[in-house]
Amino acid sequence: MSSTIAYIRAYLSRFLVIVGLLATLISWYFVSPEATAIANELTYWNMDIYTFTLFVGLLTIFARYLNGVRTRAKYWPYQLYAMILIIVWIIMGLSVGLYSDLYQTAYLSTKITLHIAILGQLVFFMVSAGYRVLRIKNFRTALFAICMVSVVVLNAPWLLSVFPAADKISYWLLNNPAMAGGRALLLAGGIGGVILGIRLLLGLEKGALRATE
Amino acid sequence: MFTIFTNVGQIIQTGRAFQLVFLLIIGALGYVSYYLGKKGKTWEIRPLEGLEATYEGIGRAAEMGRPIMVLPGISDLGNPQTLAGLTVLGEVAQQSAEIGVTAITSASNPGVITAEEAIIRSSYTAAGKPELYSPGKYVRWFGGDQFAYAVGAAGQILGEKPAVIVYMGYFLFDVIVDGETGNRIGAVQIGGTLGSMDMVALFCDNILIGEELYAASASITRDKIAVATIAGQDWIKLITLGIMILGVIFSLAGSKVIWEILGR
Repeated sequence: MSSTIAYIRAYLSRFLVIVGLLATLISWYFVSPEATAIANELTYWNMDIYTFTLFVGLLTIFARYLNGVRTRAKYWPYQLYAMILIIVWIIMGLSVGLYSDLYQTAYLSTKITLHIAILGQLVFFMVSAGYRVLRIKNFRTALFAICMVSVVVLNAPWLLSVFPAADKISYWLLNNPAMAGGRALLLAGGIGGVILGIRLLLGLEKGALRATE
Repeated sequence: MFTIFTNVGQIIQTGRAFQLVFLLIIGALGYVSYYLGKKGKTWEIRPLEGLEATYEGIGRAAEMGRPIMVLPGISDLGNPQTLAGLTVLGEVAQQSAEIGVTAITSASNPGVITAEEAIIRSSYTAAGKPELYSPGKYVRWFGGDQFAYAVGAAGQILGEKPAVIVYMGYFLFDVIVDGETGNRIGAVQIGGTLGSMDMVALFCDNILIGEELYAASASITRDKIAVATIAGQDWIKLITLGIMILGVIFSLAGSKVIWEILGR
């Protein structure tokens, strides 16, 4: 019996993945209302499963945080704070609705404020890292540094008035070498992603499936 | 001959015939390389700088008595980059457990958190030390937003002070915050991603460029058959390169043949 269960565990998930894969591929490449209907239905199932995993993840987090608060773990006050906030937001969302003025105002006024605070420091981090990486030791690093400065200036209108040439240089850099390199990465990454999918279907990719070992 | 692709428009969606053929070729070549690998053919891949640095990093963490941190990114389990990152996490966690180094990680997606917990648990079990694992000890969650995650992971970096930080997965601007924080504590940083390559390159000492991330996830397992699929990947890249070269030649000659074949 246990070997049967192990067999089902190993191959049922792969079978379901292959069915979903074929339905999605057929509906994408072929004019087939039946395949499209199956793909749409599987998409809804996928959304349901995804929502369920979010729920499972939430339960996992609560279980861990409750244990942490009970045993007074290292960051237990933050874990307690996080749990209280999650419950408050869930109650608020369920009672007034996700798209109500109250929920949206509360959400955006906290989220946007924090985002802006972090975004504001990103440019300093990037300049600091750029200085460390691109210390002008030779011609190549000097060229990289000039390119970096030019693109930074492009995004600062007040600096553009001082260095107007940065406009043309930056756009040429972004639309030619950077775009070529970016497309090369995308192409290679896309091919690599498909091959990784094949490794998953063949059971070669241990990764997240390691949990079944 | 090339009008075949437009005449079958009633069966195949318009403009997607070449995509279908190319996908079938990718699948076929990938399977052929897997089959050859199973039959015993071995391929050697060039040393991946980021991967070699990861192996050295585990030793560095052991010498310094500090943990090693692996971050699989901010995406969900449906993203191939996250899966590649989780494979690296599993291998690093197992090797670290074998030599007594703590491997820590975090994520922003609850599904990834659950997978990470299972991976860490099975890594300790495989290393023969299941008693060292406890839930929540090695994996932390910092919310679903990229900046909330960035700040939380930065706090974890400052608190745990890892000797090595491995970024393998899908990252956005969060890698800037975490990369700078990692640099401030003197950690060796290794990065591998597709989208934010520019930012990872700024902050990391060693990088895996583009598809090297997927090659690393196969190579780190030291599974010859998984490595064999990388050969299939290379064959497909050669075909893609050939099509691009032909496209350039035909375009310069004023012909739109390749353009039409691609379904545009």
